[in-house]
Parts: sequence; structure tokens; C-alpha cells
Amino acid sequence: MSPAVSRPCWRLSPVLVVALALTSAACARQDARLEQHKDKFESLGETTAAICEAWLGGDVSGTYTRTALEQTFMLVEQERSALAASPDTLLDPRGAALSQASERLSRLIASLAHQVQGANAAAVRQLLTDIPIRGSAGQP
Amino acid sequence: MTVLVDLILGVVTSIGGFVEVGSISTAAQAGSEFGFQLLWAIAAATIMVAMLAEMSGRLAAVSRRSIAAAVRERFGIHFQYIPLGAELLIDVLLLAAEVGGAAIAVKLLTGIGFQWWILPIGLLVWLVLWCCGFSLIEYGLGLLGLVTLSFVVSAWWLKPDVSDLARALVPTLPQHDHVRYAFLAVSILGATVSPYLLNFYSSGTIEEQMTEKELWVNRVTAYMGMCFGGVVSMGVLVTSAMVLGPRHITVDSYEQAALMFVPVFHQWAVVLFALSLGIGCFGAAVEVTLNAGYAFSQALGWPWGANKPRRDATRFVAAFTLVLALGVAIAVVGFDPLRLTMIALALTVVIMPLVVLPFLVLMNDPTYVRRHTNGPIGNGLLAVITVLAALLAIVVIPLEVMGG
Repeated sequence: MSPAVSRPCWRLSPVLVVALALTSAACARQDARLEQHKDKFESLGETTAAICEAWLGGDVSGTYTRTALEQTFMLVEQERSALAASPDTLLDPRGAALSQASERLSRLIASLAHQVQGANAAAVRQLLTDIPIRGSAGQP
Repeated sequence: MTVLVDLILGVVTSIGGFVEVGSISTAAQAGSEFGFQLLWAIAAATIMVAMLAEMSGRLAAVSRRSIAAAVRERFGIHFQYIPLGAELLIDVLLLAAEVGGAAIAVKLLTGIGFQWWILPIGLLVWLVLWCCGFSLIEYGLGLLGLVTLSFVVSAWWLKPDVSDLARALVPTLPQHDHVRYAFLAVSILGATVSPYLLNFYSSGTIEEQMTEKELWVNRVTAYMGMCFGGVVSMGVLVTSAMVLGPRHITVDSYEQAALMFVPVFHQWAVVLFALSLGIGCFGAAVEVTLNAGYAFSQALGWPWGANKPRRDATRFVAAFTLVLALGVAIAVVGFDPLRLTMIALALTVVIMPLVVLPFLVLMNDPTYVRRHTNGPIGNGLLAVITVLAALLAIVVIPLEVMGG
């Protein structure tokens, strides 16, 4: 192989390495960001379950339950905004799935708050089985 | 007999007054995210604050001057502007967070939005300061604050593994999220070693007319009161770690934090949590406001004292009223109290060297503390805090951005 042919390859390789390094760093950042969002949604899903279970068990009042669910709803919405703030995250299939699950969580919390207001324990119990994102404690 | 009663009351009120918005939020977050692993941070911060409180009491009992007054006298008013300005800024932010915390406690019980309670709570703080003398404020709020012992009861009830607790007293690196871990460790330090506490403690020593002969009372009160208070903070962390941790619930709101009491206190859970948070925050709001009045008046040489008739200390009253109004105004704007707390705690660490460094000089000046100057352990601790705080001051803002 003549030097004239090998030189361009030799010159290209550092560029390739830098590009690969940058891509892998960006991927790692993206993975970490998605993991953080996932953890946060799992925590909020688990919080929703804990609040409702405490209400069903007669440990907390309806007033506290509604207040806590409203606060959890706000936190879910904040996290959804943070997730949607980065288009790259939503393009990732995992991010898109998380976004859909978090939307379902939002709607479910709103329904739960409504059912708690109507003191409908059976409906709350039913809705609890549908929480889309929960921590490992809540997984079957 | 009177001394003994004062001693017991002093220790008890130190326990009752230890826990407030900063310690509850940082310990609850630390427990839910890292289990027992940050117990060492509470232990280290408690030892630091106990030693600092003892020193500030000693300075006041011997020199009859509070820290702010002594710094002004020793270094001049031009130097004093910097720590005074920094301390007042932190006082205002902390006050907003404490008033916000008390308002959230009322919200937990009533379901009515916390913003509605901020003005009434601010007014109540002002009325307490206007109507009550120092002893009533200190002992009354401290005794009410004993409700925070419910955190110790819950931790004991949950039966944590003692060997796990003992292991957590030794600092270790976390398995995950190093930045968040570092941020929480710094926040625990900021929540425990508050600069306002030192000037408040020294001013209180003067208000109570403690003399050089009673230095042993100061020592016992500072060490026992603060160390038992630290146990209450550890109770928050342990309860959070054992109840919220296994469910992967991280604390982003006080409504979530209240859930930590449910397995132990059942129907009383929310009431006890709200009372602990509310009384702790209200007591701290009164203390921070009073300290702002103290610091302002002492630095500018005005008459001061919660035991003075208010007409004899009008500028002192005006100073604490102004700071209270600013704090309430920030809280009313609607900042998230938990977020505000974490920012205030990070900034507390930033200003720490400005407060501790002059204190180090004063504690070695026989003009002020006569033969009671600091020994090598006290000086070593102050030097460590100064260096540590200076280093943390550099990293705390990036940590706040990345880990908060």
C-alpha cells in the first residue's frame, strides 16, 4: 500500500475516534437523562399508590389524600414538561414510551382525586391496579 | 435549683428547636434516596454545631457581647457589612422557606392552598415577637417542638438494624448518583450549621444574663441539646429510609414526606407530621426573624433585646419587622418552599467562611474570652470548618445546578 493511499485513512481515524467518542458521550448522557426521568415517574407512581393505599386503609383523611394527589399531579406535569423539553428524548423509543406512560399516569391521578372526593373506594381500588409506572416495589 | 431547671429547660428546648424545614427536608431526601448512608453527615454536622454553639455561648457569657457586636468592635463596621449582608440575605431566604414550611403544614391539615396561610403565619410570628419576652419565646416554642420527637419514636418503632446504623456513621461513597449524594451531604451541613444559629445562641446567652461562672451550664446545654437534636434529625432520615426508600419514593414534596409516618402512626400520621413540620418551621421562623433584628441592631450599635420594652428598642423592632416582611413577600410570590429551602441551604454553606473566620479570631483573643480561649480541638474544628466551607463554597453552586 502506498503512503499516498494510507495517509487519508490515517488522518481520518482521529476524526472518527473523536466523532465516536462524542456520539457515545451523547448517548450516555441521553441514557442517563432517560433513566432519571424514569426514576422520577416511578417514584411519583409509587407515591400515588402509597397515598391511595393509606386512604383505603383509613389511615389518612380525604382532605389530605386529595391535597397530596393534586401535588403529585403537579409534579408529574413538571416532569412531563422536563421530558418534552428535549426533542431528542422524545425521538428515542424509550422516551416516547415514557411520555405516553406519564400521560396515562397524569390522567389516572386526576381520576383518583375525583373518586376520592366521591369517597368511591371500589373505583379507587380498581384504578390502583392500572398505575402505568411504578417502582420495583410495585411490580408484580 | 434554678440553675438545674434552666439547664433542663435549655437542653429540652434545644432538642425541640433543632428540627426545622431544612433538617426535615434534607434528612427525608437523604433517607429516601440513599438509605442510612448519609447518617454520618448528620452526625458530623451535629458535632460541629454543638461545638460552635458552645463557643458562641462562651464568647457571650465572658465578653457580654454577641458575635455580631464583637465582630463589629474587633474588625470595624466596614468589615462587618460583608458578613452582615450575607447573613441577612440567608435569613430572608430561610425565613421565606420556614414560613412556607409552616404554611404547608397547615395545608396538610386543612387542604387549603399554602399561599393563603403565609400572611397569617407571618403576622403570628410578628405578634409572638411583639408580645413575648425571650424566655417565653425560647422555652414555649422549644417545648412545643418536642412533638418532633415523633421522628425518633417512629425510627425506634421501625426497628432498624443497629449494625447498619453504626456502619452508616462512617462516610462511604454511594453506589449511584455521586453528585446528588454530595449535594445532599452539603445541604445537611448547611441545614445544621446555620450561621443565624450562632448569633442567636450568643444573643440568647446575653438575654438570659448567663455569667462566666455558668459556663458549665452553657457547655452542657450546647452539647446535650444539640446532640439529642441531631438524634431527631437522624430519626427523620431513618424513618424515611425504612418507609419511603424500599418503595423507591424520593421526596419532592412535603405531602410525600408525610407518608413516612403512616406505617407507624396510622390515623395520627399526617397530624403528627404536620405538627412536627409546622411547629418546627414556626419556631425557626421566630428565631430567624429575631436573629435578624439582633444582628442588624448589634452591628449598627442600636439598643436590642426581646426582653426590652419595645418602645426602648424601636429600631430593633423595625429591623426584625423589615426582614420578616421581606421573607413573607418572597414566600407569598409562590416559590416552591422545598426548592427554596435547598437553595438557602446551599447559600448558607457559601457564606459560612465569612462567619466562621472572624469567629476563629475572636475565640483566640483574650480581650474577649479572657482565659477561656479556644484549645487546639476548638481551633482545629473552626479551621476545618473554614477550609471545608471555603472548598464547598466553590463547588456548591455547580452541585446545586447538577444535584439539586
